[in-house]
Formats: sequence, C-alpha cells, structure tokens
Amino acid sequence: MKLKIKVDPDLCIGAASCVTIDPATFQLNDENIAVVLDHGSEPGGRVYEREMEVSEDEYETILLAAQSCPTLAIFIYDEAGDQVFPEA
Amino acid sequence: MIRYVIVGAGIAGTSAAEEIRKCDQEGEITLIGEEEHALYSRVLLPHYIKGKIPREKCFLKREAWYDEQRIEYLRGERVESIDTAHRHVVLKIAGRELPYDKLLITTGGEPSSINADVRGISYLQTLDDADHLLQLLGELAGKHDARAAVCGGGFIACEYLNIFKHFGIPTTCFHRGPWFWSRVLGEESGRLIESVLKREDVEVWPQTTLADISAKGGSGSAGHGSIQVETTNGLARADLLGIGIGLGRDLRWIQKSGIEVEAGVRTNSFLETSVEGVWAAGDVAEFDDPLTGHAMMGGNWMNAIMQGRTAGKSMVGERTEFRLVTSYATNIFGTEIIFIGDTRRALADEVRVEGTAGEGAVTQRFYDSGRLVGATMVGTNKDRMKLAKEIENT
Repeated sequence: MKLKIKVDPDLCIGAASCVTIDPATFQLNDENIAVVLDHGSEPGGRVYEREMEVSEDEYETILLAAQSCPTLAIFIYDEAGDQVFPEA
Repeated sequence: MIRYVIVGAGIAGTSAAEEIRKCDQEGEITLIGEEEHALYSRVLLPHYIKGKIPREKCFLKREAWYDEQRIEYLRGERVESIDTAHRHVVLKIAGRELPYDKLLITTGGEPSSINADVRGISYLQTLDDADHLLQLLGELAGKHDARAAVCGGGFIACEYLNIFKHFGIPTTCFHRGPWFWSRVLGEESGRLIESVLKREDVEVWPQTTLADISAKGGSGSAGHGSIQVETTNGLARADLLGIGIGLGRDLRWIQKSGIEVEAGVRTNSFLETSVEGVWAAGDVAEFDDPLTGHAMMGGNWMNAIMQGRTAGKSMVGERTEFRLVTSYATNIFGTEIIFIGDTRRALADEVRVEGTAGEGAVTQRFYDSGRLVGATMVGTNKDRMKLAKEIENT
C-alpha cells in the first residue's frame, strides 16, 4: 500500500520512540527532530514528509511508531490523502 | 475467559490493555485509574500550556475507544489492597472486590510535594495540574512586576523555566545540588546548563533548599499576588512557584500484599513481580535490566509505553523479556539535553567527558566494567544514535 508519512517539526521533541521502534522509517536530524526515511534510505535528503510503498507488516510497525510518539508529531495518510493517524 | 486487571490507567497501563486486546479477543479487561480523563500525553502538557496546541489535542485516546476495545475503564478509582492468595483487588471508592486472573500494576509515581497550602504553588504532572497552572498564569496577565520561582533541578524544572520564559516572567530557580541533575551530570555539563540559564536572565541559586513558604500579608490577602519563598539562601518573592523535586512512589499498599518492593515494585526482566500472576510496568517498576545487569527504574515516556506493551504480551502468554536502551530528551531554552541508558554516576566505574561548557556541548559516557552503559548529551545530539546502538550491542 502507498502511504504518506509526515513529521510536524514544531511538535517533535526528539524523544526518539519512533526511531527505537522503526529505525528504517525514522531517524533524527542534527536538530534532534525526526525525519522520514524510505526503507532506510533518504532519496532527496533529510525530509519531514515522504510518500512510500509499504507492506502490511511495515505499515503495522510504522503505525506502532506513530502511536508511541508522546507528542503525536507523526501523521499518516493513505493513498487517497485521508489521515489515518492520529484519528481525527 | 481470562480476567485481566490493570491498576493505573496512564500510558503504561493503557498500552498494556491495548496489547492484551490485540492478542486476546475474549478476555475481560478492567483498567482502573485515579484520574477522570481519557488517556492523554503528559509530555504534551507544556505544548498545551504554551498555547502551541489546544487542550483536546493532548488526548491520545478518544472517549469511545475504551468501549470499542471492550476495556472497562473505572475512573476516579483507587485500589486499596491486593489479595494475591485469592486473586482479587479491593476498590476504594466502590468498596467492592474485583477478582483477577492476571494483574498488572502501573500506578506510576506522584510528584514529591512540599508541605504548604498557599495559592500560587504549582505542580506539573497531570492535565488538571496544567489547567491549574494556566489559571494562575492567566491571573498574572498584565501584572508587570510578576515574578516566578522554580524549586528543583531536573526535567520538570526545565519545563517550568521554558514556560515562564514563554510568558515573559522573570524567574529565580533554586535547587539542592550544585547544578542540574547532579546525580547524573558532572561539573562540565552542569556548568553548561547553568550558563544557558544565566544567559536567559534566570537567577540561579544552587545548593539551596526550601525553608518555609507563606502568603505575604498572611492568608486571605488578595489573589496569589505574592508568596514569600524562604530558602536556605535567602528570601525569594514570587507570584508563582513551580515545584519539580522528583517523583515518589506509593508502595505500601503493594508491599502489604506480599509483593516484593524496593525503590519500586521489583520485577525480573520479564516484568514479573515476586508473586505469580502479577506484573508491574512503567514508572512504578524496578526491573532487572538485561542490558546492564542492574536493577533499573524507568521514569520516562518511552520506558512506560514499551514496558506496558511488553507486559501486555506476557500476560496473554507470549512471555517477553523487556530489552530497551531507554532515552529521554528535553531542552532548556533551545539547548538539547539527552539521557540514554543507565546514567547513574554512583554506579558507573568511569565517566568519560568530552567537550566543555565553553564550547557549548558536553557529552558524558558511562562505563561499567569497561562496557558503555549510558550517555548524556548537553548542547548536542551528535552521535546520539551511535551511542544508543553501542549501549545496546556491547
């Protein structure tokens, strides 16, 4: 499935729960803010937002990482552009 | 059908309930919490106080979520005692027994408090605390000579300093140690934090404790306009006093039930307590850390959510060891402060320090028998992930 994953840098405090759970999708930049990776790689550089193709299992891990964020700084959108997390 | 009872409805307890439901569709799950709210993020409270997010965005679970998950959530309730022989807990408010097959204790901690009943004193743990602080701040709006004081030298003190700065209120900060986190940070890191505070005009009183507090002009004077904060270093006038002097854990009722406690509820690395059928997780648990071989206490978000999930898995029969290099990050006036792994100076054989206060970045590495077990970073996050990996793998 195709997802868009976005980090709000104003909300992120660098707690790094997402990086602990899913290091292939999240890493911290020099400002200690989470950036989004595509399966461990960073085409286009260190960005806060990325669209990517993921498997069911990968989606579960990404969702778990987003749910573990203490500031709800991670947003997940489906292919239609609807926000699937956090539930609005 | 298994009856799961979880005492404590914070992030550890709720994460456990969620995990249990994922694996056991039939079980009966009861979550008991002291507060009246649906789960919210305590980490978001400073964002809310500073107006970065509206109040409703603090919530992590919708009200309907508990019903949808068939989790019975007993709010505003406390557990008075546990009968581990007959497997039931006694509810204090309802005054009845609640039987369990599997019990999880996730009661967390309570901020250590000072013995004074003067308006203008603030704590910062719960959503109610945040609402109260906002009320106090609102009353100071337009008061040009308003002053604040912060008692403490840790994470909560940092939050208060950031908040008071946001509202433009000059602040005095006093703490017992020679510098912030003196049990974790050495002099170089400590001096760096102190210089950051002073650069932002915070009046810093180290090695200072609270002696007495009174309302100026006695009780009954108008508003909370003035608190006389008597310290061992002199008198501080403040309209608002933020208290952040650590977390205490109420363990007596747990100990009485025969469950082993020390500084927290003792568990092995599977978060199992000394009594069969009883687990503990989150801030209240003192667990055997397989990564360091020492007993550890959590005290941060990541630890609580991960332990909750681990305990939930174990309770449905998928016995899981808790392995995590814990970490926590905050900032004071934009300067990063990061703790990773076991950062207790008293337990380390050696603490290697890199960088100086003058350079604006100090990293400490904690070694135990030659192994890297923890690290702190002030003013930098360089190597954070590398250090976390090294701690995990050595």
